[in-house]
Amino acid sequence: MASVLFDHVTKRYGKVEAVRDLTLEIADGQFMTLVGPSGCGKSTTLNMLAGLEEVTEGEIYIDGQPVSGLLPGERDIAMVFQSYALYPHMSVRDNLAFALKVRGMPKNVIAERVQRAAKMLGIEELLDRKPRQLSGGQRQRVALGRALVREPRIFLLDEPLSNLDAKLRVQMRAELKLLFDRLETTVVYVTHDQAEAMTMSDRVAIFDRGVLQQVGTPLELYNQPVNIFVAGFLGSPPMNFLDAQVSDTARGAALVGDGFSVPLTQPHAHLSRGQRVTIGIRPEDIEIVPGGDGIQTTISLVEPMGSATILHAPVGGKLVAIETEKTTPLRTGDSVTLIFPADRIHVFDPATGVALRGDQQRAAA
Amino acid sequence: MAVTTTTEETRRLIAAPETRQRRLRWGNVGWSVARWIALGLGLVITLVPTLWLVTTSFKHEVDYLAYPPRLIPNSWTLDGYRVLFERNELGHFFMNSVVVTLSSTALSVLIGSMAAYGLSRAKLPFKLNGILAFWMLLTRMYPAIVTAIPYFLIMRELQWLDTRRALVFTYTAFNLPFVVWLMIGFFEELPPELERAAMVDGCNAWQRFWKIVLPLSAPALVATAILSAVLAWNEFLFAVMLTRIEAKTLPVVMSGFITDKGMLWDQMTALGVITVLPVLVFALAVQRYLVRGLTLGAVKE
Repeated sequence: MASVLFDHVTKRYGKVEAVRDLTLEIADGQFMTLVGPSGCGKSTTLNMLAGLEEVTEGEIYIDGQPVSGLLPGERDIAMVFQSYALYPHMSVRDNLAFALKVRGMPKNVIAERVQRAAKMLGIEELLDRKPRQLSGGQRQRVALGRALVREPRIFLLDEPLSNLDAKLRVQMRAELKLLFDRLETTVVYVTHDQAEAMTMSDRVAIFDRGVLQQVGTPLELYNQPVNIFVAGFLGSPPMNFLDAQVSDTARGAALVGDGFSVPLTQPHAHLSRGQRVTIGIRPEDIEIVPGGDGIQTTISLVEPMGSATILHAPVGGKLVAIETEKTTPLRTGDSVTLIFPADRIHVFDPATGVALRGDQQRAAA
Repeated sequence: MAVTTTTEETRRLIAAPETRQRRLRWGNVGWSVARWIALGLGLVITLVPTLWLVTTSFKHEVDYLAYPPRLIPNSWTLDGYRVLFERNELGHFFMNSVVVTLSSTALSVLIGSMAAYGLSRAKLPFKLNGILAFWMLLTRMYPAIVTAIPYFLIMRELQWLDTRRALVFTYTAFNLPFVVWLMIGFFEELPPELERAAMVDGCNAWQRFWKIVLPLSAPALVATAILSAVLAWNEFLFAVMLTRIEAKTLPVVMSGFITDKGMLWDQMTALGVITVLPVLVFALAVQRYLVRGLTLGAVKE
């Protein structure tokens, strides 16, 4: 159980900035996910917390204590690696016990802890096997077990599920969440998979090109993304983005783009006339109406996902994804009328990508 | 008309692959004959000298001095071996070779793998890792005779001349660069996450080396040990420089049969066979490891 604070942390490799001026707080017992595309700095951040990489500038605190001078083994953290990094020449039992042996714990304590972790993960019958005799999912459990026996202050997990096949990944995702809910230990979890970030975390930190973009609960990030990157990263299929301009129409101020027009309402009423913006709308927020007022278009592609169906249709020059129910009778070539509900629209500055929200601007001012 | 054309075409189409196949088959025969000739030549070049060594060791004087020389003697004899064992303290010299080979191999593999681990993991300034590693290799780039006199003087000062430890020391020094280079290559292929995991588990560099890296390097260690053992076993130049009577190794003893009264071919070749045998048996016993060790890292698992 421990809290973590990254205080203006920067990591440079030569002239390349892997992480820039990161300030991030992780509360005691929280499940924090660091997410972003590859090369965004999330793994470097985790490795700095583990002590495997040195901090170039700034300081990391665990429970208020600076940890820069401490070796990885002195930080009371346990880590699960993407490749599992099981010691190939040791049995599962020895893999689990290794860290405790290195620390000189008494044998009976080690045996007891190994037994408990093995039971928790359902790998008791595998204890005498070598890692190469295990399946991918079993290795994954052993890697987890090696962290569990440590009973550390913080668990660090670096893409632990990315080497599993899709079905097992979803199953382990749920198991991991249950496990860490029960343990109530601080967890820092790195992934590039937005679904893992959304489903498992108490809070999510989204990185892009070494810079922290936004921190919040999964739903905060999903519903109120602070910029185009965050908006586009979370959600599958991703949010649709279209260019628009704030204009006066017969029905009042509106966001008018190529082939569509959406009334300008709160929280965007503060936008000035003539301003160019990028609007974003999620596929599931677009409504299909029987006819009348709306965006007239023709379906160019139908993707049945099973649980839902994704339609693609051109609006202006761009293809827009629309999520609809799985039973939809619509087929390629059908004409449809779309509505972009005004309260579902996200508005961004096209130059900087920053979200333009009246409430946030007021808060900033 | 159209019909005949079609039949003809069809016939040609059917016939064509057949002729092509036959031609290919003849080509194959030609190739395989050429291959067998090349292989045969290679075997003759490598095996005939050995065969000569073995048959000569069983020859009477008439046969090994015969002109034109005879590969296969008229009559066989064990005289060479008998005289060799009667007149020489062969056991003592054999033990010299064994002790010097085993000790120098153990030392160079131990020290060399530690040095290699340091060089492959330490982050030294000014690219010192590469410079140091290259510097070591440099010592293998000039002929050994260049250092023979300095070594002789050093050993004389230490009063180590004609001792086994002089050879152990020299061979260790000479095999180290070779061990270091082989092991650096291997260590750099080890997945870095294993050692990172060990760091998080609380191991210092020493523990990581002994508990994780070394056990995983067993195949490479075995291959390296075999090669340096063979080098030490066969070494002649330093052995002849640094030993006189007591610490002579088998190659030096062998050279002793070139006497002022002539060449004692039978005894020399008999000792040659005795010297080659252990290496041969050893190589056959460990060839699996040798091949595995030398190709390690070439293919990812």
